Amino acid sequence: MVSSTMEEGLIYNIKLSSIGPGNVTAPYSIFEPENMDLAMKLHYLRCIYYFGSKAFEGLTALVIKEPMFTWLNQFPVPCGRLRRSDPGRPYIKCNDCGVRFIEAKCDKTLEEWLEMKDDSHEKALVSGQIIGPELSFSPLVLIQLTKFQCGGTAVGLSWAHVLGDAFSAAEFMNQLGKTVADNGPGRPIALAQSLKSVSPNNQPRVVEDPLSIRRVGPVGDNWIKVSECNMNTFSFNISGTQLSHLQSKLSRNGAEFSPFEALSAVIWQCIAKIRGRGSSQKVATICEKSRKNEIEGTLSNSLNLSVVKADFPIEEATPSELATLLKTRALDEQKKINEIMDKEQGLSDFIVYGANLTFVNVEEGSFYEFEYRGQKPVSFSLRIDGVGEEGAILVLPGDKNVCTGRKVTAILPENKIEVFKDELKREGLLA
Amino acid sequence: MASQIPHIVAFLFTTIIISFIIQTSPEQILQLWNSMQFTSLQILCFSFFIVYTLTVFLMKRPRTVYLVDFALFKTPQSMRVSFAGFMEHARLVLPTQPKSVHFQMRILERSGLGETTCLPPAIHYIPPTPNMALAREEAELVIFSCMDSLFQKTGIQPKDIDILILNCSLFSPTPSLTAMVVNKYKMRSNIKSFNLSGMGCSAGLISLDLANDLLQQHSSSNAVVISTEILTPNCYMGKERAMLLPNCLFRMGGAAILLSNRSSDRSRAKYRLSHVVRTHKGADDKSYRCVSQEEDSEGNVGIMLNIDLMRIAGESLKSNITTLGPLVLPASEQLRFVISLIRRKLFNPKIKPYIPDFKQAFDHFCIHAGGRAVIDELQKSLNLTAEQVEASRMTLHRFGNTSSSSLWYELSYIENKGRMKKGDRVWQIAFGSGFKCNSAVWKCNRTIKKPSDGAWADCIDKYPVYIPEIVKL
Repeated sequence: MVSSTMEEGLIYNIKLSSIGPGNVTAPYSIFEPENMDLAMKLHYLRCIYYFGSKAFEGLTALVIKEPMFTWLNQFPVPCGRLRRSDPGRPYIKCNDCGVRFIEAKCDKTLEEWLEMKDDSHEKALVSGQIIGPELSFSPLVLIQLTKFQCGGTAVGLSWAHVLGDAFSAAEFMNQLGKTVADNGPGRPIALAQSLKSVSPNNQPRVVEDPLSIRRVGPVGDNWIKVSECNMNTFSFNISGTQLSHLQSKLSRNGAEFSPFEALSAVIWQCIAKIRGRGSSQKVATICEKSRKNEIEGTLSNSLNLSVVKADFPIEEATPSELATLLKTRALDEQKKINEIMDKEQGLSDFIVYGANLTFVNVEEGSFYEFEYRGQKPVSFSLRIDGVGEEGAILVLPGDKNVCTGRKVTAILPENKIEVFKDELKREGLLA
Repeated sequence: MASQIPHIVAFLFTTIIISFIIQTSPEQILQLWNSMQFTSLQILCFSFFIVYTLTVFLMKRPRTVYLVDFALFKTPQSMRVSFAGFMEHARLVLPTQPKSVHFQMRILERSGLGETTCLPPAIHYIPPTPNMALAREEAELVIFSCMDSLFQKTGIQPKDIDILILNCSLFSPTPSLTAMVVNKYKMRSNIKSFNLSGMGCSAGLISLDLANDLLQQHSSSNAVVISTEILTPNCYMGKERAMLLPNCLFRMGGAAILLSNRSSDRSRAKYRLSHVVRTHKGADDKSYRCVSQEEDSEGNVGIMLNIDLMRIAGESLKSNITTLGPLVLPASEQLRFVISLIRRKLFNPKIKPYIPDFKQAFDHFCIHAGGRAVIDELQKSLNLTAEQVEASRMTLHRFGNTSSSSLWYELSYIENKGRMKKGDRVWQIAFGSGFKCNSAVWKCNRTIKKPSDGAWADCIDKYPVYIPEIVKL
């Protein structure tokens, strides 16, 4: 729900309803989240797709909602609600409860909105609701449609990370575009699994907590980590030329770095500098799209999680050294995470983003492929809620105007944002 | 009137005439004729008298009213209400009233409704946003959809409609809903339109009765009857349990029926109307107050259902079948009933009353799907089998309580199952506020093929379903 009074002033005429699958899902269908899903459960993706006036022109709420029922026939899991099995492991009951649908209006035009400097106003366009205090009555997905004065529309997707990663969320929305265009593929979803009881792991092996995740003290049914400081978001665009300039600056001995590696290296150093000497930020987590061949279009948490550990102070290293580190010495954490989750039977609570400084590579995310009535989004932004204090850096595909460039979103404690901006300016990444 | 002369009397009379003719030879008849010595004037007067009597007899004979065809509102998937969704919304709308929310859940679990019933868009909002504009939208959606379907099925043109009757109990705007229909379809200026409001769930048969009376008056005419209930303005927003019950049971639905007394429609008509029997128990105070629309202590308007409802429904049913019985029951059943009555009155009042076996009078039963309790009660008191109440139970499951149109969804179910054969007799029975119990009896005019489209077409194969006593949510 929109809670801050500042955000409340930006939008008005808020109406809540629900949308769900048009067909009845087979009774007693359930979905059991896997270990990776439960490791990510305290995080929420908040995506905003900005569309020009042509996309939703002349459409009433009723007309917009109708194809959504057909769309959600393919996705009974996001329409379900969480329950706990006897030992306490969460699962999703596919009871067609639905996705929350929020309609709102905004007095500004789309242009005016996109020009606003402070990122926190974006909180008004997407629901900040978390799962809890009652699991069985908490929607997993909330979609907000905000109409601007000029006819432009913002589609805000609030997505519980337990359902899947950012690539899955993108696929979820892209399917809506396809359904509206009548191109719905009607893929069969194999999901009805019978409930199996989770038996305790018989190996009493001592398993260390993986570096990439951090245990947080039991949150019960309120799925959010209580943080000591407020996390804020700051985004900036990098043009294609700036990017290639950066890449060439960093490359040495013929080693080429990808845009993600180059940006991550530079930003890692900036953040290390603002944190000051001697702080223990020698570990960073990298989240990337899995290279495994997964079934096309299923929702899952299949990010490649790896850590890099530097044995030298970050603020004194050159960006090239950091980039090399990121490229070559990342240790895969998948197995360790699986082991710890198995051992704990999914009952403990962890955070991933922000356990260490986390670099999330979503530059290949298909966010700009969400076409509504032939119109692609003019802009896209992604925030993550529930990030730990170490912060997270998201590398997104560039806006329509900077399509060879990237958009970088930094989620940091609010008292570090201004100094971070200064550092970026010093590095020449920010005008 | 002629149809009310018991067959047995006509039979006796005919027997007497024939036996007289047989006994007398042609010469005796001729002799009798000559001896009477009628003058030509007397013969002329006598002939005129015969012709006059015959004409009066033929003209006063009731016209046969045919049901040509009917169309149902096909509920859109985008207005579907799942149990889980309903409960979540109920919690969000009444966050401070957990007892009322829990009550609604218990009702829903035992209601006999399924997961495919529909509510109008206004009621899907948290909190619901009933307003006049949205109510009109719902009315247009349901009524126009039924009418378009009816035109397509029957081939009738809007300009050919002579009589238009619409019943919608709880939404009565100005201009009326009938005026809305006349306007939309550009009907004739001399159309006879009637808009019945406030008459409850049995109003569908009241409209039918009115159409029947009008078609007796006007020769070679047709009538369209539209039965629906517009839910948007009637969502109860308070916490009184007796008034929350309708929220759990009432759902969107509508039907449009084409009736005709034209002989040209005889071959294509599906049914012919045999009887309509209306019983009104409003004279009794308890019956009158049994279902009433009121404001609760906080000013929220809702429909209050009294705890006596089932008992009053049972009594009104008894009244109705007391009138209906002699019209439809075979002589043997009537005799048994009369004998049982005499025995109870004269000898031993403690003898159980004989319940006539209505299964002998009818082949199909359409009991208004008011709720599971109503159907259970009627099944018990009329001694009906599970198959005979199947249409009612499955309609309640698939569509919920759609008020006056539920009888038509039930009839359509029977047709879709391929069970309707020529000569089958159907009994439609509905209860409503007042307290009223109305019955209509139809005779199937031609064996009806399973329709390929319509409200049931995409799901009929899933039915009948087993409906558990309590659905665990």
